[in-house]
Parts: sequence; structure tokens; C-alpha cells
Amino acid sequence: MNSLRLGTLVFCVLMASVSPGYTAETNPNAAAAQKEGKLIIYSSTDSASVEPILQDFKALYPFLQVEYNDLNTTEIYNRFTAESASGSGTADFMWSSAMDLQIQLASKGNALTYASPENSSLPKWAIWQNQAYGTTFEPVSIAYNKRLLPADAVPQSHADLVKLLKAKPDVYKEKIATFDPEKSGVGFLMMTQDAKVFPQFWDLAKGLGATGAKVYTSTGAMLEKVGSGEHTLAYNIIGSYVLLRQKKDASLGYVLPKDYTLVFSRIAFISKSARNPNAAKLFLDYLLSKRGQTVMSEKSLVYSIRSDVPGPITAAGLNKDLGKAVKPIEVNTDILAGLEQTKRLEFMKQWKEALKR
Amino acid sequence: MNRTFRSFAVVTVALVVFGPLGLIIYQSFLSEAFFSPTARPSLGAYQYVLADSGFHSAFGTSLLVSFGMTVIAVPLGSLLAFLLVRTDLPWKKFLEPWLLVPIFLSPVVLAFGYVVAVGPVGFFSLWAKSLLGTIPWRLYSLYGLIVIAGLTHVPHSFLYVSSALRSLDPSVEEAARVAGAGPWRIAATVSLPLVLPSILFSSALIFLLGFELFGLPLVLGDPAGLLVLTTYLYKLTNLLGVPSYHLMAVVALSIVALTFPLVYAQRRMLRTAGRFAVIGGKGQAFRPLPLGAFRWPAVGIVLLWLLVTVLLPLIGVALRSVVSQWGEGINLAEVLTLDHFRELQNHPNLIRGIINTLLLGGIGGALSVGFYAIIGLAAHRWQSRWVSFLDYLVMLPRALPGLIVGLAFLWVFLFFKPIAPLRTTLFSLWIAYTVVWLAYGLRLISASLLQVKPELEEAARVIGAGQGKVYGDVTLPLIRFGLIGSWLLMFMMFVREYSTGVYLLGPGTEVIGSLIVSLWGTGALDLISALSVIEVVSVGLILFIALRLGVRLDA
Repeated sequence: MNSLRLGTLVFCVLMASVSPGYTAETNPNAAAAQKEGKLIIYSSTDSASVEPILQDFKALYPFLQVEYNDLNTTEIYNRFTAESASGSGTADFMWSSAMDLQIQLASKGNALTYASPENSSLPKWAIWQNQAYGTTFEPVSIAYNKRLLPADAVPQSHADLVKLLKAKPDVYKEKIATFDPEKSGVGFLMMTQDAKVFPQFWDLAKGLGATGAKVYTSTGAMLEKVGSGEHTLAYNIIGSYVLLRQKKDASLGYVLPKDYTLVFSRIAFISKSARNPNAAKLFLDYLLSKRGQTVMSEKSLVYSIRSDVPGPITAAGLNKDLGKAVKPIEVNTDILAGLEQTKRLEFMKQWKEALKR
Repeated sequence: MNRTFRSFAVVTVALVVFGPLGLIIYQSFLSEAFFSPTARPSLGAYQYVLADSGFHSAFGTSLLVSFGMTVIAVPLGSLLAFLLVRTDLPWKKFLEPWLLVPIFLSPVVLAFGYVVAVGPVGFFSLWAKSLLGTIPWRLYSLYGLIVIAGLTHVPHSFLYVSSALRSLDPSVEEAARVAGAGPWRIAATVSLPLVLPSILFSSALIFLLGFELFGLPLVLGDPAGLLVLTTYLYKLTNLLGVPSYHLMAVVALSIVALTFPLVYAQRRMLRTAGRFAVIGGKGQAFRPLPLGAFRWPAVGIVLLWLLVTVLLPLIGVALRSVVSQWGEGINLAEVLTLDHFRELQNHPNLIRGIINTLLLGGIGGALSVGFYAIIGLAAHRWQSRWVSFLDYLVMLPRALPGLIVGLAFLWVFLFFKPIAPLRTTLFSLWIAYTVVWLAYGLRLISASLLQVKPELEEAARVIGAGQGKVYGDVTLPLIRFGLIGSWLLMFMMFVREYSTGVYLLGPGTEVIGSLIVSLWGTGALDLISALSVIEVVSVGLILFIALRLGVRLDA
């Protein structure tokens, strides 16, 4: 907690020195964006968490009126597709944690091609065709209740978790929470990635079934119940969410699994039919810039994807701590394999059988 | 004039209902989204859904939940209505606003309140555990879901039955009392049978709401894999990766199909409407029936219901709003805080959300009632097949589950160009809400109209009043309780509604419901609880005042 506060302090000092380097004048799109005057964003990042980012962006470009629509991932997709088809105008900037839906939209020609000047500072795998951009670097963790689970009882890896479920099915009866891959796209994506990387994944699923694990559609509900002790452990929780919650609920903790830690990224693209494309470019550049990513990491507590942003809540920090165990879900059309219907339904069926539901 | 008026009503209702519904029917016969260039006519969606065992079991569960809920809610609601409206039950004025809380409180919040109170680590459960060594109930079960759904829908039934009872001519009860009948006997053989239309209406509407339940089953049933139709529908948005509108449309239509037998049965039972006309010409002073020795046991029943249905979840929510942590191993006294209320102040758009919600509920609700009253009057004393057509028609919009009706309205406002400019205004939201709750607002009005004896209107006509004057001077004043009840219900429904307008909302048109859902996504249940406390207090205050005003009209 204290290091965080210190971080914020350091950050404020830094800001004062950083800001002159990145101003409205230096971005070549600024003049055209000023003419547009407006920017419409559809995003799944909730408004409270995005507030510092938007504030800083508005401070840079006070001439832009930003209309930020805080929607869930399905709503973003439904709205965007219907609005595009009706030709009545839609978002300029799409920013969602449904990686597969975003890539699907981009691959169907909905995204504007734009090479951001920040490209060189991003990992290669985070950029798809200069259209879809991974903007964050968020580790998928195991969240737990510190009050009820002693530190030495917390599984430190996926393999540990399998062992734990096998050894003590009674202790963990109905005490484990995870995503419902049938109802949550993000949950499905994580689990299919797990199944790819982790040979024991189906043992894990069976273990979850044997302990009567509960399945959820939102991270928030899971964290609330881990905090209260209704569950002691939640599997596949995005670390940034736990960080945000820790500010209020000290009993929440999380572990980044040592064998491998999936890294998930919120994907952004500029709509091809954007009415304010230059304003959208401006926002993309800002979001990927060192300044934007620093605000993201230190104020919004979302892991930064740039390796030159220092601190614990960053790609740099994660790579240092976990080394090769970091397994980013790459921003490309491989993700779309999960949308292939027969395979998808087969996975769901196997999951349900393992879970005995 | 009458003819044009009536045709106008039928055509308008048909248009607003078939706009969204037609799109959904069309969508169900396609292979993908109707606006997709590659969409082809197909029966595939029907084949998939009707053959899916998940659909069968979800349909069965929904049927069971709806049935159980109606069986609990309607008798209890009718009984409460009789006690509060017709008898000398003590503390009536104080009890009534509390009774209505479950209607306007978001079901997700209500369910969460139960989790905090009687969930596996709820404060009440932990207390019971410390006394008994075990928790004697199980919140996350089909049984728990039915009981909670039933109890929380008691107010819906209460509202319908009580507004009919208020207009009841007291002389009939008086006659029974003079003949020696006790209060229970009067309720069972005189008062309640006379308001049978309202009881039947409310049964049908509550049964339909059972299929609509989403928040309660999502929170109470879903984690354990208990699927109802709406959560099955939710699954269909993700099952195939991208939302499968054609499959969702088929599921929605299966609920729509259910309304036909429902309305048919109701119409058959009400064939002789004249039997229920009890608002007569002679005014009589109303004297509440003395409950005698039953006075305090009756209060006991009401309080017990209030405790389980209102206080338990409300205490849960209120508690959550003032603690930073809760649950097993927490001493609540050590974690008390007002931070959540403070934090709410920084939340963007909060004030605007509250203002929009109250505008929509208060003024929007009143406008909707105006619209419903026009439809009600058009169908009033009209012997025509068009009336039965209307009866079926008005039920259809609410038969569409929230998840899909929201989409349907987005599509209507996007692809029907004349109204497209309204999409980003509160007006679009109001239209959508008015259409969806059509049956619910209209029923209260038409049930009151059934009670008006024809001779009053005829008398006015005989002395030369035109149709407009008859309605304005005679009919409408006579059904004022129905109108007020309808407005109250719409106010509360609009305050709580979210899914219908989810795609019509944007910056500037936020409502409390959308704030709650967006906070739910991030798990900010502390903030949701604080917001709900504010909502309960402010809406409760408005209701209290409204009920006072309503009562004054009585004198």
C-alpha cells in the first residue's frame, strides 16, 4: 500500500517533468482532430477506473469533447455491428477486453489501418496489421482470501492447484470460484489458452468439478465472494481487478502462478467508419504513449504493456519477476480459432462433463 | 369520432408492439443477424433450440419458478391488500410504503442483499450457525429461488388487488358484516371474489414476470448451474462466440407463445364482466371493517412478511454500504466506514443518473399512464373482436425477455429512419419503457373500468354530454385509483428498469439502473449498496408523499 502511495508521489513529480515532451503540438494529427472536436469511445473499462486516463488526455487536448460509453463487451459488439450496418454512425474508438470479438471485428474489415508512432515501443505480438492494438499487459492470477487461507496454503502454480484439489476436496467444497466459459467470453478465452499451455488442464477441470466449484459471469461477483469468505479462492482472475479491490478490501490477495502466467490484453482499434478518425488516432497514440501508460499503471492500476514504464504494475515488472513463465495471449487471428463453432461446442461439452454439471 | 378514436388506438398499439416483435420473428427465421449481408432464410435456429436439452430443462425450471412464484405471491398479495385497504389494521399508513420496496429495487441488488444476510457467510446465517451449529437453509437452491421470487412479487399482486379494492362499494361488505360474517369470511367470500378480475390479471402478469426473472436467478441460481430461460438466453450470447441473435429470437418467441394460453384462460374466466361492476352511483362513506381479535395477529402476518421480504435484504444492502469488508471472520464493528458514500460523490454522472431516473419515472410514468388511459377508454364497452386482439397484443412486449427486447429496440431505432433521431434522447427510453410495460399499466386501468357501472355514463349521455365529456367528467374521475395505482407502478418499474433501455443509453441519458449494472461488472458492490440505499431513501420518500396525496383524493 505504502509503496503504491510513494509511487503516486514519484509519478506526480515525474509528470511535471515528462509532460512538456508530449504535447498537442507534437502529434501531427492534432490539428485535424481539433477540427473534428469530438471523440466517441465504446469501452469495457469502467468509468471510475478510466477517469485518470481521460482526465490527463483532456488536459493534453482540451479542444476535444470525449464521449465515453462504458459498456460490457457484448453490448459493445452488439451496438457496433448494428450501428455500422444501419449506417447511422458508431464509435470512433473501440476498446474492449473481449479480445476475440475485437479481432473478429477487425479481421472483417471494420478497423482503420494506422501505424501509431508508438509502435516501436510495443511488443510485436501486440499489434495486428497496424489495425488492432493490445494496450495492456494483464496477468491472469489466482485470487484468494488472506484472512481464511494462510500464505503457505495458497497454491503457487497451476500444478499446485491441481494437487490441492485432489488432496483436500472436502476442505475446498464449494469454496472455489471461476469463470463460466459458457457465459463469459473472457473466461472461455482464458480456459482455452490454459488447455493449450497446461497439459493437466482437464485434471484441473475435474478437480473443480469434484469440489463443486461455483461458476460466475463477472470478476466482480467472484471477488466480492472471495472477500466475504463464501469462497476462499478464485481461479483465473485478472490481476488488475484484484489490485483495484485491494485498495478497499485488505483481505484479498493474488498469486501469479509460477509455472505459467497468462497475460491478457485489452484490444483497441479505430473504426473504419469513424466520423472523427483523427481524434481517435490521437487517443490511440496517447493510450500507447509512455505518458498514457504511466497513468494507466499508476493511477488506474492496470498493467502497462510498455517495457519502458517502470514499476510493479507493468510488463517490465512482470517480466522481471516471472521471466519465461509469462505467456501473453497474442493479438492476432489465432484467437479466432475459439470462435469456430464445432470446436467451441466440443470444448464446452468437455468442460461440462469434467465439471459434472 | 368514437370510431376514429378506437381505430387509432388499435393501430397505434399494433404498431408499437409489432415493431420490435416483428423484427424478432423475422430474425428467428434467418441464419445470422438480419442486418448481415450474408444472412439467409433458415429454420436452423428452431432446429437447434428446440432440440437442445439445455433449452428443455431451462424451460421446465422457468415454468416451475413461475408457477411457484405465482402461487406464493398472489394469495399473499391479495390478503395484504384486503388487510391494508378494507380493514382497521393498525399502522397502515406506515406499512404501505415499505411494502412497495421490492418493486423498485433492482433485483440484482435485492438478491445481493439476501446473499449478505442469509448466504453461506451472511450475517444472519453466521448468527444462526453460532446458535445451532449449522445453517438450516440453503439460499442457492431452486427452492430458495422460488420462495424469494414469490415473496418479492407479493407487492405486484398487492398493487393490482388493492387498487380494485379501493373502488369497491363498501355496502356489500357492510351487508355481510351485518349478517354476522367475520373479517376472514368477508375477505374470502365477498371482497376478494368481487375483485377477481384484478386477481386474475395479476396472476397472469406475475406468471409472465416469472419467465422474465433475470437478476434473481443470475445471482442465486447461476453459480450452481441452475439455468432458467433468461440465463439460458444469456448463455446464447456467448455460446457460439459471437451473439447468436437467431437462437435468442427463438427462445424469446417460446415465451411469447406462452402468453396466448395465458390470455385465453383469463378471458374465459372473465366472460361476464358485468358481475364485477360495483362502482355504483350512490356514494357511501367508507368504514373500515373491524378486525376485532384478529387485529394484532394480522399485523403479525404483515410484519413477518416485511421482515423476510424487505428488511432482510435491505439490512444486507445497508450493511454492505457501511462496511469495507464482511463475512466469515470479520468483526463488523471494526470495519465500519462511510467511504462508499463519499466515493459515490466522485462517481461521474451520478447526479445526472438520479435526475434522469426520477424524470423518467415521475413525468415519463405519468405520460405513459395517459397513453394507457387512452387505450383503456378506446376498448371500454366496445363489443368487438378487436378488443380481444388488443388483449393479446398488449401482453406480447413484456413476454420478450429484457436481454432481447433491449436489442430489438436498438434495431427499431436504428433501422426505422423516421424515429432514428430520437435514439440518443431520453425520449427513446421512454417509448421503449412505455411499450414494454403496456400490459402492466393498462391492466390496472382496465380492471378499474370493469368496475364502473354503465348507468353512470348513460346518465351523463342522457343529459347531453358528448363522449369526450363523459370520459372526462364521469369515467376518468371514477377510476382515479386505477390511474394513481398505474402511475405508482410505472414510476417504480421505470426506476428499476434497465435492460430494455440498455442499448439506448448513452452519456447524458444514464439512469440509476445502468450505473448499477456498470458497477456490478467491476464488482463495486460497496458502491452499488450505497447507491441503493440512496435510491431506497429517495424513492421511498416520494412514494410516501404520493401515497399521502393519493389518500387525500379519497376524502
